[in-house]
Amino acid sequence: MKNRLRVLRAERNWSQADLAERLEVSRQSVNAIETGKFDPSLPLAFRLARLFEMTIEQIFTDDGLT
Amino acid sequence: MWCTKSAAERVYLARTLIFMSIYVLVTAIVSWIFAHRHPQGTLVYLLAVLPTLPIFAVIASLGKYLVEERDEFVRTVLVQCSLWATAVVLAFATCLGSLQKYVPSVNKSPGLQNYWVFVVWFLAFAAAQPLVRWRYK
Repeated sequence: MKNRLRVLRAERNWSQADLAERLEVSRQSVNAIETGKFDPSLPLAFRLARLFEMTIEQIFTDDGLT
Repeated sequence: MWCTKSAAERVYLARTLIFMSIYVLVTAIVSWIFAHRHPQGTLVYLLAVLPTLPIFAVIASLGKYLVEERDEFVRTVLVQCSLWATAVVLAFATCLGSLQKYVPSVNKSPGLQNYWVFVVWFLAFAAAQPLVRWRYK
């Protein structure tokens, strides 16, 4: 699943560690999600959406959608 | 950082260290009893099983850690590592069984006992972690 996490994080001048701390997950979790190699669960996706004050769809893009 | 440990992982590592220490101690005591006191009857069975109890505790500790770990990515990595370790152990045990059946010298080798299965699983579990994590880099 593609996402805009890296861009959103950069806009706020947050490092991966900063974002990980805010989400209460490990830095490798943030890295794996950012690179699209790990899809977060729905609760974590909602936490991300709340943190960036966006909807999940504004952060994540379903690869199946054209 | 990759080496940052969660609270659940720290508790798990502490628990594992304690149980493995108990295992070493109990194994040493039981070995001494068998070598010097020559137990008989039901006591033989009880003493023989005694060193395995801390190992059960280590397995249970890992299960508890999987439940307690709040980071879903770490949980996913651990589950994948345990699947890899289980696959290695199944292959190891099958191979060893075949060797013991057809190669007399292997069958008589005192170093190849069934209790090594857990050691192999644990080593494979540890070895799989950097490999599984590398896939997500």
